[in-house]
Amino acid sequence: MVKPLQHKLWRDVRRHRAQFIAITLTMFLGVTIFGATYDSFQNLTASYETTATEYRFASLTVAGGDVEAFAQAAAIEPGVESAELRTSTDIPFRVDGTKLLGRAIGLPADDQPAVNQVEVLTGTYLDPAFPDGVLVEQHMADHFSLRPGSTMDVFDGTVWRTTTVVGTIASPEYIWTARDRQNIITTPDNFGVIFAAEQTVRELAATGPNEVVSYYAAGIENEELTASLSATARSLGATNVYTRAEQASNAALEEDLAGFEEMAIFFPIMFLLAAGMAAYVMISRLVHAQRPHIGVLLANGFTRRQVLRHYLGYGFIPGLIGSIPGAIAGVLLARLITRMYTELLAIPVTIVQFYPATLLGAVAFGLMASLLAALAPALVASRVLPAAAMRGESPSGGGRRSMLERMLPPVRKLPAAWKMALRGVWRNPRRTVYTVIGVVLSLMLVLVSWGMIDSIRHLMDRQFVQIQQEDATVYFTEPAAAADVADLVKVDGVARAEPSLTLPTSLEANGNHYDTALLVLADGSQLHRLDSIDDGWIDLPSAGVVLGKATRDLLAIEIGDPITLAVGGTAFVEPVAAFVDEPLGTMAYMARSRAESLSGVELPATSALIAYDEGVDPAELRNTITELPQVAAFEDANAIYDVMQRYMVLFYAFVGIMLTFGGAMAFALIFNAMSVNIAERTREVATLLAVGTDRRAISRYITAENIMVAAIGIPIGLIVGHYSAATALASFSSDLFSFDLFIEPTTYLWATLAILAVALISQIPGLRAIRRISIPQIVKERSA
Amino acid sequence: MTIKLTEVWKTFGEGHTAVDALRDIDLDGPQGEFSVILGPSGSGKTTLLNLVGAIDDATRGDIEVAGVNLAALSVDEQVRYRRENVGFVFQFFNLIPTLTAAENVELVADLTSDNGADRAASVLEQVGLVDRMHHFPAELSGGEQQRVAIARALVKQPPILLCDEPTGELDFETGRMILDLLRRVSRESDQTVLLVTHNAAIGAMSDRVLRLRSGEIVEDTRNADPIDASALTW
Repeated sequence: MVKPLQHKLWRDVRRHRAQFIAITLTMFLGVTIFGATYDSFQNLTASYETTATEYRFASLTVAGGDVEAFAQAAAIEPGVESAELRTSTDIPFRVDGTKLLGRAIGLPADDQPAVNQVEVLTGTYLDPAFPDGVLVEQHMADHFSLRPGSTMDVFDGTVWRTTTVVGTIASPEYIWTARDRQNIITTPDNFGVIFAAEQTVRELAATGPNEVVSYYAAGIENEELTASLSATARSLGATNVYTRAEQASNAALEEDLAGFEEMAIFFPIMFLLAAGMAAYVMISRLVHAQRPHIGVLLANGFTRRQVLRHYLGYGFIPGLIGSIPGAIAGVLLARLITRMYTELLAIPVTIVQFYPATLLGAVAFGLMASLLAALAPALVASRVLPAAAMRGESPSGGGRRSMLERMLPPVRKLPAAWKMALRGVWRNPRRTVYTVIGVVLSLMLVLVSWGMIDSIRHLMDRQFVQIQQEDATVYFTEPAAAADVADLVKVDGVARAEPSLTLPTSLEANGNHYDTALLVLADGSQLHRLDSIDDGWIDLPSAGVVLGKATRDLLAIEIGDPITLAVGGTAFVEPVAAFVDEPLGTMAYMARSRAESLSGVELPATSALIAYDEGVDPAELRNTITELPQVAAFEDANAIYDVMQRYMVLFYAFVGIMLTFGGAMAFALIFNAMSVNIAERTREVATLLAVGTDRRAISRYITAENIMVAAIGIPIGLIVGHYSAATALASFSSDLFSFDLFIEPTTYLWATLAILAVALISQIPGLRAIRRISIPQIVKERSA
Repeated sequence: MTIKLTEVWKTFGEGHTAVDALRDIDLDGPQGEFSVILGPSGSGKTTLLNLVGAIDDATRGDIEVAGVNLAALSVDEQVRYRRENVGFVFQFFNLIPTLTAAENVELVADLTSDNGADRAASVLEQVGLVDRMHHFPAELSGGEQQRVAIARALVKQPPILLCDEPTGELDFETGRMILDLLRRVSRESDQTVLLVTHNAAIGAMSDRVLRLRSGEIVEDTRNADPIDASALTW
């Protein structure tokens, strides 16, 4: 570029620094978010993958059936590197008087297993000479302050056995301590995991091995192999077959990763779009104002290409200044986010890498957005007719009546000043459209994040208040008879107790399988309500099985279709009575009378759902109940609710950040549109001032005009935001979680008020500029 | 309404970049007088007009209009002064492009009374634009736009009319028609008119001609027998 043009470019940028800063900042935010989220996604993916490889995280886990036969079959299957038998049993634990539901998993006593290895964090690995030594999973260890040398009790079905902690560990299976896919959210008070010598666990479970964990060659997923092994496992009576991707903890983490990936695309696009539009508005105005200068340049021999390049420079500068620091900030932020995240979740391996492609990509995206924004006005500049431009003639927009005036005749009676404000809205339709899009994008950002909070609150309310009516679940040391359940009601403070039987089940229909749990509930259960997707709240039907709605697609079934339930080596066929909508998990439900009729025996209860009397002290009641000898563990429904409430703090922080970013984006766009709006009409403002209109009145007219533009964007933004939030939530929905969008009416109201507030605030600099207008100078100019 | 300027200076810039746009101006303008201010570019004509219109402040000296010292007015009082006393006609018309001719006039009429629309129609009739009153500025010729601007200046019946090169953008015939209009309506309303132009020929239609050069009044002549604007030629 010719040197004087470079000077002109930089001086113009300095002269309009506030607008350029707004564009640069929005660009910076967009590029930063891209770099931070995309690199975090890559780092976390690498961390999980490396953890999986280093700790030989099982590619396929098979539970139930003839596991020994399956282990032999798997071991000789090409592509299977290791297939190991082990025992896993859910038994009660007692730590410092607290009874909880636990899981004991067997490991080779002398060395790490070939599959699902553990990382010893404190203490030592198991010692064959010390069979009562256990390794405690870190979440439980932290909660109960268990260290090497601490003791805890485990129930072997007959008596409580004291074990000694030899070490604390991290396991790839329990990075997120989900009990299973139907119970993704647990609390350390309700669920914990220990690892012990395989022989010890077999003794605790009073069974032989019941699981096979297989690791494929190099840990790489292999769909064909999985299909083949799954078929073999099913034929051998397996009740639960799941891949690494389906494993509960991993699936929950993958959901999170998917969220990062979506954020890495969704949010940067919004910011870059906003920055691009702000740049377009600004540069278009500059070209318009500089038409005489452009005419002079062209008349003096500058080529159209030189003029094009010059005005592209107005996009290039904020693009470059915003993108390079943004990309660097993004990369640095990604490191911070990755470390915080892996520390928070205690992921054994943290991989923080430098990805040059992200850095280059981020800069390229930023530059591309700003150059594209500058292209249209730069082309206009290069096509200016020199003679007309030097005469100061510029295409001026003719006035016309607003649509509102045409549609509503009484509006025509408004004072001229208000008609001026009304018509000003569509004076520059393209700019209005861009400002409206800015408002829409901002509302999208706000509603997607805020909608998430409302939906999760709603989800919790549905799960823990409307569906789960029980206050706690009491687990028995051994399958209990109805009389044992009835005894619970005698405990002071217990209002109601219902028997519940949980059975691992494999559902099969149309050649599809889904492994879940069958909950056999009391007929007419009042403590677990069922919300049918077709009929609303229903009673547990006397025949048929009720399934979570995700099974409808997973198994390709409809109401009335027969479905095979494989329970503990027995299969029976039952029609689907209803599909229920439950936010957490995908279960199967059956009435106790029906289950007994099918099995031909009186069924015991593995647990009891209990409801408290009004005003009872839950902690005291928990102590009373857990002291009962037949009670193995006590799961407080409110504790999970409280844990989720605590997680909400993270969401509030997330929404706070998104609101700030959304506000910044809306501010940048509206501020730029406003500044250009005022710059474009300085002559009108000066004329109005000269004829005796006071500045406050002018400010009111301009404010009204801008609020009207924002008001056009608000309903569109609310609709687009609603559907974007629904799409974003739907992407998180699976058989683990069922996210239905629910946004409180007040959220729409607050989002609207927030945008209006930003619109008002973003005008302040522009309105202040009115005070600095030089009336004598402006009214005398040919084109102000 | 009389206009009285005493030892008025207007300096732009400071220090070695300071430029005196007006130097020691003394001027008396009696009510109803139609004065033309002549001078080359940069002589201070528009600056003088701006000071009387209170859209700019004098550096030194006193400007009194109907006994009110403009220098003593606050910003709000200046706005009120302009609203109640001054009508402006600019070279480039300065109409609001999104308002029709009638609405441009009504906008200013609303500043001083409630029945702005009726008064706007009446003034537009006075300037011969009643059949074009619902057209937007872009649909009007330059002469028509200037007539709208004059109607806008007249609608609040200001005692002072300040016209800055009102014919500068117009062809000869249209310019003469506009001058004729200005002369006629100012006589009918007994308005004091200050009209700035670089066209010396226009002086012949005025009551008084002031010549400015380098910020000073170098000639102040009364015209005992001003000619009709329609007889002007240049």
